[in-house]
Amino acid sequence: MKNRLKIERAILNLTQDELAKKIGVSRQTISSIEKNRYVPSTVLALKLSLLFEKPINDFFELEDSEISILHKLDKKTD
Amino acid sequence: MDLKSFMEYERKSLEKMKKYQLPNWFKKIGIGIILISIVAFFVNKFSIEDIDIKLISKYGILVGLLLISISKEKIEDELITSLRMQSYTFSFIAGVIITLLTNPIFNFIANFISQRQGENFQEVGDWEILWILLSVQVFYFEFLKRMNK
Repeated sequence: MKNRLKIERAILNLTQDELAKKIGVSRQTISSIEKNRYVPSTVLALKLSLLFEKPINDFFELEDSEISILHKLDKKTD
Repeated sequence: MDLKSFMEYERKSLEKMKKYQLPNWFKKIGIGIILISIVAFFVNKFSIEDIDIKLISKYGILVGLLLISISKEKIEDELITSLRMQSYTFSFIAGVIITLLTNPIFNFIANFISQRQGENFQEVGDWEILWILLSVQVFYFEFLKRMNK
């Protein structure tokens, strides 16, 4: 899963530490999400969505490979 | 299900994971117990030779490792919960593999060195298995935390 967390954080002019404190996680967690090493839970994604005042889809996006799996499944059900 | 109740449901499911955990300061107590146990073990080995002290110090190491293992981090969030689960899984698999392989490999090497075939040396006991499980979990968890910095 790709994300634009770093960009959204820059728009709000927040450091990793400040963002972490706002949503109640460690700085390590924000760093791991930004580096695509960790996919956050729905709760955390919704918290980020509330903070950025944007829908989740605006800063979290599926990889092309994950989308192609969905297309294959669609074809099978047709 | 509205957004708030959905978030509440997920938060509660994460909270359940934390119920069996101890506060962060138990980690220091765990380290203290391990250090005292190691010192007692070596003092006993080189001077007194008391079997009770040896046994107590061996189990002290296990209690210390368990306290470190189940103590919370300063900030216990979902990444830490995920890393903790990974480390428990890894330690379980590593523990089973090490236990299965230790006896045949150890016996093979010992037989090879002594040139005597068919002799079985000491088997892996309950203390060794628990020590492997707990120490692999504690060290692998620390390794994962450092990797995610």
